[in-house]
Amino acid sequence: MTDAFGGHGGIAQYNRDFLTALSGIEEVSDIVVLPRLAAEKNFRVPEKITQLKPVFHPVIYGFRALWLALTRGPFDLIFCGHVYMSFLAGIVSGITGKPYWLQIYGIEAWQRQKRLNVYFSERASQILSISRFSRRKFLSWATLDPERVKILPATADMSRFVPGAKSKLLLQRWGLEGCQVILTVSRLDSSERYKGHSLIIKTMPSLIKKFKKLRYVISGNGNDKKCLEQLASQLGVEKEVIFLGEVDEALKPELYRLADVFVMPSKKEGFGIVYLEAMASGIPVIAGNKDGSVDPLRDGENGRLVNPDDPREIVAAIEDQLSGAKNETIATSKFAFCNFKNHLLRILKLNFPERFACNEKLYA
Amino acid sequence: MCGITGIFSYHYASTSVKREELRLIRDQMAARGPDGKGEWFSQDGRVGLGHRRLAIIDLSDAGAQPMSNEDGSVVLVYNGEIYNYRELRAELEGQGVKFFSHSDTEVILRLYETMGDSLCSKLRGMFAFGLWDAKKNALLLARGPCGIKPLYYANDGWTFRFASQVKALLKSPAVSKDPEPAGVVGFFLLGSVPEPFTLYQEIRALPAGSFMWVDSCGPAQTQKYFNFNEAYWAGAERYRTTPVENIKEVIWQALRESVQAHLTADVPVGLFLSSGIDSTLLLALAATLSTEPMRTITLAFDEYRDTSQDEAPLAAKTAAHYGAQHSTYRLTRNEFNDDLPKVFEAMDQPTIDGINTYFISKAAKARDLKVALSGIGGDELLGGYSSFSIIPKWRKIAFIPALVPFSGEIFRGLFDAFLGPVGIFHPKFSGLLKFGGTTSGAYFLKRGLYMPWELKKFLSRDIFENGLERLNLTRRLKSSLVPSPKSDFARVSILESQWYLRNQLLRDTDWASMAHSLEVRTPYVDATLFKQLAPLFALMKPRENKAWITDSFKADLPAEVLQRKKTGFTVPMPVWLHERTNAKPLSSRQSQLWARTWARSVGQEMAV
Repeated sequence: MTDAFGGHGGIAQYNRDFLTALSGIEEVSDIVVLPRLAAEKNFRVPEKITQLKPVFHPVIYGFRALWLALTRGPFDLIFCGHVYMSFLAGIVSGITGKPYWLQIYGIEAWQRQKRLNVYFSERASQILSISRFSRRKFLSWATLDPERVKILPATADMSRFVPGAKSKLLLQRWGLEGCQVILTVSRLDSSERYKGHSLIIKTMPSLIKKFKKLRYVISGNGNDKKCLEQLASQLGVEKEVIFLGEVDEALKPELYRLADVFVMPSKKEGFGIVYLEAMASGIPVIAGNKDGSVDPLRDGENGRLVNPDDPREIVAAIEDQLSGAKNETIATSKFAFCNFKNHLLRILKLNFPERFACNEKLYA
Repeated sequence: MCGITGIFSYHYASTSVKREELRLIRDQMAARGPDGKGEWFSQDGRVGLGHRRLAIIDLSDAGAQPMSNEDGSVVLVYNGEIYNYRELRAELEGQGVKFFSHSDTEVILRLYETMGDSLCSKLRGMFAFGLWDAKKNALLLARGPCGIKPLYYANDGWTFRFASQVKALLKSPAVSKDPEPAGVVGFFLLGSVPEPFTLYQEIRALPAGSFMWVDSCGPAQTQKYFNFNEAYWAGAERYRTTPVENIKEVIWQALRESVQAHLTADVPVGLFLSSGIDSTLLLALAATLSTEPMRTITLAFDEYRDTSQDEAPLAAKTAAHYGAQHSTYRLTRNEFNDDLPKVFEAMDQPTIDGINTYFISKAAKARDLKVALSGIGGDELLGGYSSFSIIPKWRKIAFIPALVPFSGEIFRGLFDAFLGPVGIFHPKFSGLLKFGGTTSGAYFLKRGLYMPWELKKFLSRDIFENGLERLNLTRRLKSSLVPSPKSDFARVSILESQWYLRNQLLRDTDWASMAHSLEVRTPYVDATLFKQLAPLFALMKPRENKAWITDSFKADLPAEVLQRKKTGFTVPMPVWLHERTNAKPLSSRQSQLWARTWARSVGQEMAV
């Protein structure tokens, strides 16, 4: 896989949850993870998991993976954490004679892949997709029995992200006392402009006419930050748009709780774990209706879906949320870790009926 | 005959079933079931079943659906007719099973309680059903062996939806409308969308003769319980030593039994009569089996009055011969033009056929019929099509040249350069060496509408390339001959039954008759009949069996029917359609390629 423990971003988070769930299943005895990246050096891994040193070079990674499969096994299952690596996973699977699973997340799996990757993606014994949208996009270029693609949605730590009062300390630190706050948490990469930060900045001049003490707080860093800052000053809302940069992971729960509404009208989300974290923190969420975002928002039951190409719709949704009362009982429990783990067990049972036949357990 | 639907929110993250959504899907099928509607929702809100009823057996409310057992642990929605339901019921009652209605629906319900999903192979008839088993927490979807009744499903990864029609599923705002290139390409290659594809990526057909379980992990792989090829493959030996007289008896008995089964109903049963042998034979048998005089209907056209193409006079004579109450429905150009928008509205998926069935069903409905027998499937079973003799011939001619590398491409190039522009040959001829060398390829050449390379002229590159790859028609056609039956007759019969009959004739019959709330029954398309006769026919040469049949019934069939040369069913529709938009009359070349022109118009109408 690309990264898991010690990694940043949504994919690493998902992989960590996946591996943690897998390690918690009784019948699973040994998990060896070969990542390509690990940003952090100090991290803890759950029992039964060995995470090896990352190997970034794709060719060396390939040989390392093959060597590992042949010498450190025998393994029962090869897990491929990126569609770009399906070629390698297919080869390893062919040589070892063991099945391989392919995980698809978002944009990486939406477009038709190179011929070899298509060939090997179609030969995965099980494909797991993070969302319905990614599944549909994957099936638009992969020709296989669609029932082989199951969905294992992302999960969030519901014990960490809980509703609560705004932290006075943070309000003070970021100058948000007495303000209503719109929040977006994501990378600010010029290749990921589809997330919609600029759209919200552009709505600020009209919003502040109605909501005098309104702030748009952007958490995250990236090479697009300067551009966005420029845009804010061009529109004369540089005071109202606050760039926090990268916020420490430990502060995240408190960060969400500062918000009155979490907005990210993205067009290319595979799923969007941040929506889940915001909702678990009791913050109303506004997201786009054209991608995987509809999954954490459960088609609008958990939050408000808008057309991300229609600024008027976005403004109207934000105004509604800022004028209305804050709803602290958003039903995010569906995405609790135990459901994630139990569903993974069901899928394991389907693939290895004999190995998991006796496991009638439901994890709490 | 009915319309069925269901929604199962199987995934832990999915939202509860929305009643409005189920009703939208169900009521799109109102014409399939004008006699009643029903719905059922599980207490936890994760399952909903809906039904539109056309009452034919047990007209009382006891036969209403969704039907559940006493403790509500099994709930069923079903579309079709089970002809052996009385025998099955007697069998079950013998085992102590109690019934609360006289419907065939309850027989399926009780049979499931007794034997689980292996019930499908016990049922004789046409069916498609969805059954919720609360104890298993799973949904069972099944479709009859011949695929007479349709069943489509859409699985988005969280929620599973099924319905009798594609257009019904499209009513749900949650079902994706993303196109399926394989369905689009398949339509232009064959004239109908080949299952399991539809025009939409997310919507697929449950293959005929199979069932599927859906549980909290979603749909499992479909399981096949009936295979035509095996019926041809096995059992032929037992007929090798059977004396000729006995064989005639076997055929006669099997056909008689099938017609008798198909007459089972609590309402009058009519019959579509043409001047051909297949429908005449049905009438001959039905007339002796039915206690009431049969009601027969023939579709005719004023354009053909007093010409050899007019089927009406001979059909009327035949009807009189068997004492049937006959009526001829003369379709006029005006009525045709007026009804055309309704035809497109009723057409569930694009097809180049079905219009005749639409109008003859309309005629049957106007005569207060709810059920009618049709002779379709006779040609596939009895080898009536010219394909039975042509395909083996083509294969013999093309087999050796096709082995030469690139011969297909070279021939195509030469054809396009020299023969094509002459305009005498059908453009399909360019595929002779590319496809003609195998039975399945030659079948495509015979039945195909366009050759694959022609599609890029009018389809976008994306749809064209992606569609050809996803459809992989050559491989699909080949795999429908696995296991390969041992005779040419059987191979062509299998291809005709599994492609043309299933994807075109039966599907068209379904939407075109359902548009008028008419149930069409097809005694020649019957798994039991097929199992009895297929091994026998597998031993025969092309057309030999049809002669057998005719011989067997010679004494009873009108001489004119026997003598009439098979001309194919001709209709003035091409001329009518052409003249709607063109001032000039239809040329002979345009007439030769008319199916293609029509396919393009259908494509436009159905937004392909």
